[in-house]
Amino acid sequence: MAENKNKKSLMTKLRPFLPIIGLVLIFIIFDILTGGKMHEVAKLKLLLSQVYVLMIASSGVFFIMTMGGLDFSQGSILGMASLAVCYLSKINMILAVIGGIVVGAAVGAINGYFYVNRKIKSFIVTICTMFLFRGVIKFMTSGAPVSGDLLTMMNLNSSDALKIGLTLVVVLIGLFLFNFTGFGIRLKAIGAGEKAAMFGGIRTDRTKFLIYVLAGAITGFAAFIATIKTGSVTYSAGNQLETQILIALVLGGMPITGGAKASFLNVIVGSLLYTVLSFGLNMLGMTTQTTQLIQGVIFLIFVAIFADRKSLKVIK
Amino acid sequence: MSEVRLQVQNLCKTFGVTKAVQNVSFDINKGEIHALIGENGSGKSTLTNMLCGIYTIDSGKFILDGQEVHPVNQVDANNKGISIIVQELGTLSGLTVAENIFLGHEDRFVKHGIKNANAMNKEAQTLLDKYGFNRIKASDMVDLYNFEDRKLVEIVKATYFSPKIVVVDETTTALSQEGREELYKHMRRIRDEGNTIIFISHDMQEILTMSDTITVLRDGVYIGTKPSCELDEDGLKKMMVGREVTGDYYRADYGEPISDEVVLSVKNVTVPGQIYDISFDLHKGEILGFGGLSESGMHEIGKACFGASYNRKGTVTLANGTQINSIPTAIKNEMAYTSKDRDNESVVMNQSIGDNICMPSLKSLAGALGVLSKKKMRNFANEYAKEMSVKMVNTDQFVSDLSGGNKQKVVLARWIGKDSDILVLDSPTRGIDIKVKQDIYQLMDRMRKSGKSIIMISEELMELIGMCDRIIIMKDGRLNGELMRNQDIDENTLIAKMV
Repeated sequence: MAENKNKKSLMTKLRPFLPIIGLVLIFIIFDILTGGKMHEVAKLKLLLSQVYVLMIASSGVFFIMTMGGLDFSQGSILGMASLAVCYLSKINMILAVIGGIVVGAAVGAINGYFYVNRKIKSFIVTICTMFLFRGVIKFMTSGAPVSGDLLTMMNLNSSDALKIGLTLVVVLIGLFLFNFTGFGIRLKAIGAGEKAAMFGGIRTDRTKFLIYVLAGAITGFAAFIATIKTGSVTYSAGNQLETQILIALVLGGMPITGGAKASFLNVIVGSLLYTVLSFGLNMLGMTTQTTQLIQGVIFLIFVAIFADRKSLKVIK
Repeated sequence: MSEVRLQVQNLCKTFGVTKAVQNVSFDINKGEIHALIGENGSGKSTLTNMLCGIYTIDSGKFILDGQEVHPVNQVDANNKGISIIVQELGTLSGLTVAENIFLGHEDRFVKHGIKNANAMNKEAQTLLDKYGFNRIKASDMVDLYNFEDRKLVEIVKATYFSPKIVVVDETTTALSQEGREELYKHMRRIRDEGNTIIFISHDMQEILTMSDTITVLRDGVYIGTKPSCELDEDGLKKMMVGREVTGDYYRADYGEPISDEVVLSVKNVTVPGQIYDISFDLHKGEILGFGGLSESGMHEIGKACFGASYNRKGTVTLANGTQINSIPTAIKNEMAYTSKDRDNESVVMNQSIGDNICMPSLKSLAGALGVLSKKKMRNFANEYAKEMSVKMVNTDQFVSDLSGGNKQKVVLARWIGKDSDILVLDSPTRGIDIKVKQDIYQLMDRMRKSGKSIIMISEELMELIGMCDRIIIMKDGRLNGELMRNQDIDENTLIAKMV
């Protein structure tokens, strides 16, 4: 009996570190399987180039999930914002960045409005907006992809320092707000018990709305980095970003129901873990289809093991 | 020596960390009214709920007339000869009186898959007439009748089939004197027919006059069984509490004048469907009590004052003219609120004690750029958790691990930390053991003396009488009388205004 208790407490102590251990292990495993190719500088750079968008967009969704919500419209938000970035890049690059953020925030506000004011569960709202804006993107890109100011974009894309810098800025601001101000405590309280949080003086409705706007804006910002890489927007821009984010966060140790156990580390470790995993599978010569299948299985296993069933009913 | 009807053997039940019933064993005889008493949370309702199949048994057993019984639900319990009359409404709205009486036993009136409503109504009416409740018509919707009459329907429902055991669970608090007499009459009749009543009540006088035997529980543990003729009120209290109950359980002062200074003024507040045209003033240093039946709207008053009511009309104004229309405004203006629904509305269960205590004070704890120092928060939480003597490992522990009393202490610690001046306490001692209760009463008395004002909403009449300067009684969503603090008030005075 006592032994069992010790085991359990060891497991509870270890649990926050499991994703980090997993990240290191998976990297090493792929490194061995690919015969050391994973730690070549060129490969590392390629790997890194796939992390930026995911990590930035995950920060916003992380806030949403901490509150116990979900957002399936992230891919469509990225696509919509990318359109804005492309159109505006022909005028001015700074304007393009701002435009992307504004469009992202606007879609987030639509999500927030239906979720908070019309009181519809967030996953239903965001699935609706996912389809709605995917439709808009397909309409806008029908015929030909929308291209931006290709030359400037290529120049910007060649600067790794810029992309790393922008990603770091978003992640560090998020980390600071979440860990060192009342922001994180409030979001966690909403996730752990919204009604009690409201009676504790938190403006729950306003916070929920603003977080959806914020998450949209952050992904709108990520659209800039996504767009300079390709220079144009096709109908599939941002496709499945929402599932990638969800998988990344869960792999990173994020409790799917949010609440007090959410930690910003989930964003960083999770997006790295996801990227290493898909990059590694790709290096092993797996097709996209097989990669997706394996990711799906891994996601299911993680959720089955780690989901806190007692609080599953509170997903909003 | 009378025959044993029910043997309770080594019964246990836990809810999470709370041991609601611990290894309880005793016997109940045929042909007696057997009272079960104890403070809130002593496990008496848990025990009878297990007997009636509402809760499952963790371990131990019930032996009824020599055979182990293990009802899986209330209908099953009925079939085994056990029935219950509950504290709150036990009849279902939207059904007729007859349908309520025969709930779960409709099969008797079904032939070839068709229910014979006429036969059912006829038999129900015969029963009602036999009980002397001719004014109730079996074919009427039960909604047409008031609380009292619905209770009478319940009495019929629970006893018409001459069950071996009838549990009467705090039913009398909700009844007028007349209704009580009616219930007593049938309790005696059932006893004289050789069956058994298990009687739960908080009214000691009632227990002593009505019951033949008394069993006392305390904190889920069996204390003893005695014939009621060997006990008096003080003896009972001593058994319930485990020590002599001194005079300072509630506050002891009488006749202190209430200050003229109004700190909170409520005018014409209406929340549709809940409360109507409520106006009152709260004075400095006053404990203002609200009492009534659970559905009287009194719980909504607390929310309305705290700016938490949806769709409220009317005004709630502070002494300085500030209007309270939202929770953040209320908190900013040093108001505090504890909900009756502690687990959902007061504490954030799956969050640490520390975060729970700091929650309303985050703004004042934050430094430049809104940066919160972890150390400062920990010290703050520790200071007030210690002041309230919360039983915990440390402030990182989740609130969900704590007992009801300790959760309430966390909530109070939060508001003491915020240094609130006006406290709206809804059912502050609900489900809390006697020791913590006393702590909370003493805290309220200290706060009152230091000039803080308290609105106390409670379903426990004794604590209202014991603690409040004024008591306002609610009925059907409206104010229905006000009583000043006085030694001579007893529960019956309040009940008369409640129903």
